[in-house]
Amino acid sequence: MSFNLNGQSHDIPPDWADEPLLFLLREHFALTGAKFGCGVGICGACTIIIDGLPARACITRAGDVDGLSVRTIEGLAERDALHPVQQAWLDFGVPQCGYCQAGQIMAAVALLVQVPDLSDDDIDVAMDGNLCRCGTYPRIRAAIMSAAERV
Amino acid sequence: MRRRTFLAAAAGGLVALIGAGVGVWSQVPVIPKRPNPDAETALGWIAHRDERFTLSLPRAEMGQNIATALKQIACTELGAEWNTVDVVLHATDMPRVKATVGSESVMLFAEPLAQACAALRDALAAGQVAGQVRVTPRPMAALRALRAGGLIGASPEITQGRGIVTGAPLYAADMRLPGMLFGRVLRAPASVEVPSGPLRWNLDAARAIPGFVAVIEDCGPPIGQAQGLGVVAARPGALDAIAEALGVHWSIAGPHPRSDIARVIDVDARLSTGTLPHAVLDGAPDDGPWDVDLRVDVPMAAHGPIEPRAALASWQDSALRVWAGAQDAFYVRDFLADAFGLSGEAVSVQSCRIGGAFGGKTICTVEAEAAALTLATGSPVKVQWTRAQEYALGFHRPPSSHRIRARVAQGRITDWDHAQMSSHILFTAAVVPSWMQRGTDIFAGDGGVARGMVAPYVLGRARAAYDMVRLPVHAGPWRGLGAGPNALAIESAIDEAARVAGVDPLAFRLAHVADPLLTAVLERVGEIAAWGRPLASVEGLRLGRGVGCGTYKVTSHAAAVADVSVDSRGRVRVTRLWCVHDCGLVINPDQVRAQCEGNLIWSLGMVLTDDLPTAAGHVTAQSFADAPIPRMTDVPAIIVDLIQSDRPPQGAGETAIVAGPGAIANAIRAATGQRLVRFPVRTEDLAT
Ligand code: FES
Ligand code: FES
Repeated sequence: MSFNLNGQSHDIPPDWADEPLLFLLREHFALTGAKFGCGVGICGACTIIIDGLPARACITRAGDVDGLSVRTIEGLAERDALHPVQQAWLDFGVPQCGYCQAGQIMAAVALLVQVPDLSDDDIDVAMDGNLCRCGTYPRIRAAIMSAAERV
Repeated sequence: MRRRTFLAAAAGGLVALIGAGVGVWSQVPVIPKRPNPDAETALGWIAHRDERFTLSLPRAEMGQNIATALKQIACTELGAEWNTVDVVLHATDMPRVKATVGSESVMLFAEPLAQACAALRDALAAGQVAGQVRVTPRPMAALRALRAGGLIGASPEITQGRGIVTGAPLYAADMRLPGMLFGRVLRAPASVEVPSGPLRWNLDAARAIPGFVAVIEDCGPPIGQAQGLGVVAARPGALDAIAEALGVHWSIAGPHPRSDIARVIDVDARLSTGTLPHAVLDGAPDDGPWDVDLRVDVPMAAHGPIEPRAALASWQDSALRVWAGAQDAFYVRDFLADAFGLSGEAVSVQSCRIGGAFGGKTICTVEAEAAALTLATGSPVKVQWTRAQEYALGFHRPPSSHRIRARVAQGRITDWDHAQMSSHILFTAAVVPSWMQRGTDIFAGDGGVARGMVAPYVLGRARAAYDMVRLPVHAGPWRGLGAGPNALAIESAIDEAARVAGVDPLAFRLAHVADPLLTAVLERVGEIAAWGRPLASVEGLRLGRGVGCGTYKVTSHAAAVADVSVDSRGRVRVTRLWCVHDCGLVINPDQVRAQCEGNLIWSLGMVLTDDLPTAAGHVTAQSFADAPIPRMTDVPAIIVDLIQSDRPPQGAGETAIVAGPGAIANAIRAATGQRLVRFPVRTEDLAT
């Protein structure tokens, strides 16, 4: 079993195949950007992109990404050049505690690919499943709008 | 070390059953020490080496972005370039700093840090390159960092911001060590206030789960009175399956005598048995009928940080090392030393960025679980609570029940009476055993329950008093402590009083406010929200606008205006929020704004969503589905205006929560004619 992780091919060790993808990424590959928030697909802290679509790594079986392409937040920036969404997040001072933000950013990246010409409603609908207890939602909206002009 | 056996976990899955001394935990709690910082101590926070400065952040970083604000202070006072100062989160090897609570981080730490940086700057200028520096405190006016200008009042890119947006490991659960295992401590599905513990379990079934490493009986101190059963696995995902396979049978000495929480918190039932013991206003209102007489009930609520608490522990060379996301790393250190019979030097705790705390990560829980499992297995162990454990084992905003009354004559409140039943907040049952609470009840009351109960108005003959009851579910500090619920009750009653008086609610407040700084934020929010301008009407919706205001911890002030719409099915949307905030000199306006935005969204949650379901004396919520928090679609555009002030900096992390909930509830009243008295709002209360 193997998959493409941020542009590189990797094996999925057999004893990790039944683990949630989130733990394979965090504990086997040391990509700890995606977070554990609920483990049942409700909060979005573990959002990653699988074959272009946002997905919840906590309820995706690791073995099920065999042959697929997984993008995590660690794979967004090109060396020192941040992805426009990451840059917008800094420009708008989005993160408070930051724990939800990897998931928010990945959901936003996927949204911008799917719906380049965004309305506020598109953002609300696409992002409603990504919870933020600190209350950064207004800034997330503003940052996505601004990133939409840059991508 | 006392009562401890070490067993290395073998690859095949060795079962460690270490039983000696289970259950003999100290009955005297470790009480947090809370020294205020001074300039001499502050020297330990800042160092200079090879042309660079290191700021060891004396606060927990949990999203208030205090690392950025204190770096602004340090750079300004040192005269140092932004990129020559490295910020590191503190470990317990530096002198003790108090817990990061109470919105104190700029208020209490800015000046000592500035003093230390000024002394270091002078020493460097005098050619000193090594050794200790002495601080001779200088007058405030001589400090560069405590007046506006340059970096003070600017909003540079937040410290760790780049790490956050690139997914760098910043949080306790992101930490990793070679040979690390994953642990969980299972506890009975029961009130944490009744003794419980594991009776028997199916070890063979657990062993059959791939990744199983050990079951550990001696798994650290109880949480409340809930003794656990530890499990350790090679991979985190195996823990769920192991827990299920074990099928633990629990002994539970229940039920708890006060399992019916709503009944024991009922303020009217309590008042029928006599007056409340803890007075915060001791005027004597006249008897007789009241013009306003509200019973307001605010339920228990979880903090709901997106990060369930986590810790990584390792035991090496007779030293226990713990990585934690806690609001008081020193308390965690002291607790661990006490719990495991170690000297303070043998334990060190490294602070990690916290993924949201809000008062809920002030004690030691998951850290002790990780430590116990590490000590039992000899391997580093990481533990992160499940979401259900956060609800079941954490402490929460206590439910509170308010009877609040006012009498009005000639446009003024002449008499006021506010009675509150709640549960302990500062003397939380999560730390303070009931025998000790009986003492604090008599001698100290609970300043957390009392917080915000003194209304910021001139109210004539005013009485306010409260009582607490220890509950089967632990209550404790939650953003703003008692201030949010108290202000919600007070601002609701003030609004009703304005209606009785026939006076505009904003004008009515202005007529009763005593502090000119509060007057200023009220007037300003009226301006920016164009208060008094008629609302446009929308077919099929009831629209309303409300105002609320308040003072937090005497010196910080906020006022808010909310617009809401309510449809025929009783569904509420907050459509716009305005807030004006005065916390004295603002070091970082963008982050103060962020705190206001967060507090306003918490305000929205207080009115529309926050509720932690319990049954038979324990929490039944398992996930965010059972204890919802505001989502993006709930949140309107928010306009925040900060008062420019040269008062010394005051707290900003909790202030707006005294203004927002009242504004929203009052807007719903204006839209529907319904005064909300039980929260969160239920659609059936507002359906037509
Ligand atoms: S952790 Fe995956 S959705 Fe919450
Ligand atoms: S920034 Fe803290 S949860 Fe979103």
